[in-house]
Amino acid sequence: MIDIVGLSKARGGTRVLADVSLRAGEREVTAIVGPSGGGKSTLLRCLNGLEAFDTGAVTIDAHRMQPGPHPARVLERVRRDVGMVFQQFNLFPHLSVLENVALGPRVVSRLPRAEAHGIAEAQLARVGMAAFAAARPATLSGGQQQRVAIARALALGPRVMLFDEPTSALDPAMSAEVMETIVSLARGGQTMVVVTHDHAFARRAATQVVELVAGRITRAGPPAEVLGE
Amino acid sequence: MKSQHLVPLLLMSWWMAVAATPAPAAELAAVVARGELVWAADQEGGGPHVFPDPDAPQRLTGFEVELAKLIAAELGVKARFQQGQWDRLPLLLGHPADCVINGIELLPERRRDYHCSRPYFAYGLQLIALRDGPLDTVETLAAPGPAGRWRVGVLTGSAAELFLRSHSELEVDAIGYDGTIDSLEQVKSGVLDAALMDDCIFNFYADRFAGLRAVGRPFGGGYYTVLTARDTPRLSTAIDEALGRIIADGRLKTLYDRWDLGGRQQILALRDAAEIPVATRRSLRELAIETLPLLLSAAGMTVLLAGLSFPLAIFAGLGVALGRLYGPAWLRPLLTTCVEVVRGTPLMLQLYAIFFLLPQVGLALPALVAAVLGLALNYSAYESEIYRAGLKAVPLGQFEAAVALGMTKWQALRHVVVPQAVRLVMPPVTNDFIALFKDTSVCSVITVIELTKRYSVLALSTGRIVELAVITALLYLAMSWPLSLLSRRFETGQEQRP
Repeated sequence: MIDIVGLSKARGGTRVLADVSLRAGEREVTAIVGPSGGGKSTLLRCLNGLEAFDTGAVTIDAHRMQPGPHPARVLERVRRDVGMVFQQFNLFPHLSVLENVALGPRVVSRLPRAEAHGIAEAQLARVGMAAFAAARPATLSGGQQQRVAIARALALGPRVMLFDEPTSALDPAMSAEVMETIVSLARGGQTMVVVTHDHAFARRAATQVVELVAGRITRAGPPAEVLGE
Repeated sequence: MKSQHLVPLLLMSWWMAVAATPAPAAELAAVVARGELVWAADQEGGGPHVFPDPDAPQRLTGFEVELAKLIAAELGVKARFQQGQWDRLPLLLGHPADCVINGIELLPERRRDYHCSRPYFAYGLQLIALRDGPLDTVETLAAPGPAGRWRVGVLTGSAAELFLRSHSELEVDAIGYDGTIDSLEQVKSGVLDAALMDDCIFNFYADRFAGLRAVGRPFGGGYYTVLTARDTPRLSTAIDEALGRIIADGRLKTLYDRWDLGGRQQILALRDAAEIPVATRRSLRELAIETLPLLLSAAGMTVLLAGLSFPLAIFAGLGVALGRLYGPAWLRPLLTTCVEVVRGTPLMLQLYAIFFLLPQVGLALPALVAAVLGLALNYSAYESEIYRAGLKAVPLGQFEAAVALGMTKWQALRHVVVPQAVRLVMPPVTNDFIALFKDTSVCSVITVIELTKRYSVLALSTGRIVELAVITALLYLAMSWPLSLLSRRFETGQEQRP
């Protein structure tokens, strides 16, 4: 499903990722942990082409990405199958919650408005946000915004979901509410890669944990093995 | 209307009235004490009156330059030239000019509003057309031409314009220009069917426009006069007496002969000049009835110019901003250069180039089209900078979130980035729209008569500068007020949005 081989990347002469190799099968939940500045987010962003890499290869599902700038055609295909949730939510402030979730199906999948709205309503219900369909993002709490962002990524039916520190910008209560949503997705069989500092979450939901320090994988394996009991 | 709106409105009207009221003019004693007679003219009006010497362009020459020196010498002072726009020269009386000497026709309205000296020059109106064109007599103007009504260029506010406007039976659209050469150029390039002007002007330029010819003999016509303010009777009398001496001792005849203006015929015509009656002063009601329809239709032109050009400017500006930020690498420096060139040159020059230079390469645009394009071009450069700032102000995360959904770059811009940038730039863009409203007045240089131009023409022909200024100011306010309110609403909306 996900196959990363010998991935390296430098930025401004500094090595950010060094020979990173990683495999994850379908329905697996991979947690990437490690200190800040260790290259976790960069690795995640390489998986959907938000960043290019210098050497190595990334294969996700049937899509293969090579070093250097990715052709637009490759990126659009990869991204349709790979959903991404950001630390800062990045909801579109000019659109309602429903329109935020429906925009992908409408613009990317070219579905009629009614059909796109139907999908959006279903995804909002899945994350417990159906009651807020008409609201503007700015009127929601951080936890609610992040759940809408998850619904927005799910609306395109991605085969893989990427989470970039999805709870770092949230207080503990809101963080727990978002984690519950992600755990229930994981239990539902969604393949996902989660960059997180939350070891409790990693122990609960991850099938494998990868520790990244200074751009290198220092430890990898089942949660109990990497994080201890 | 709320009182908070009324106060600035009244202040504005008061300011317009004060600004339009001439300062007390310098009387003869002050002119003598100063040692200078300041005379106003427009060198753009051209020869043979007042124009830059072709051999030494920093020096002015022309028969009126010499006449001004003669008059000043008679008063025992030196002559000093003051530049002004021809149709607004009388506004300079009092401050900074003592008198106007620049082919000002002696008319009943002028005698009512200013002191007019005895005539110093006799002119006729001359129709000028292409040498091999369809206009062969003045009478031809009574029936439509091959392309409908004849398009005839005149100097705005001149006797030629008055003549055409008062002969509504002619199949003629009179098009007002700020300079006489402009209309001759436009006849030459085929934009105009003919030009109507004082005969002496065409005689002077005939060699330069060999492809043009005088159609029929000069007709209509009248006399030039030296204008002074009504509150300087001693200066007016002194100028009158000076002219009398210059005519009597033959100096004026010598001057006209030197300029090839038919000295003897001029002196005979001046001797036989009939008294011009003084126009009666109209009541405010009559003034309003006479001028309001003209001012309203000119205001309509202002709205039309702004309403057509601004959307074009916005779309072009947005396109340029997107091109500069997201376009291919080769396009970016090209667009940057375009923006800098357009921003770095005056709107008037751009309008002039579009209207007067394009016909010389075979692209003659109607004045309204040229005006709309010119305004749109000029404002698009400013709008593009506003949009560029707006686009850059949208967080990068928004773009990344959109492309992470699988959108292409242009889909992400179209659905996510641009809508947010547009909201951000609404207040400055609305502000620019208000500025554009007022900038439409520059279009009079390419013959489009909008509110400001109509005001200045009417103010001069009626002499009711203050009253018309107030009406004009109120019309401008009525047009820009809704936009100000709209701009404030956008701003409030943004403050409420977190």
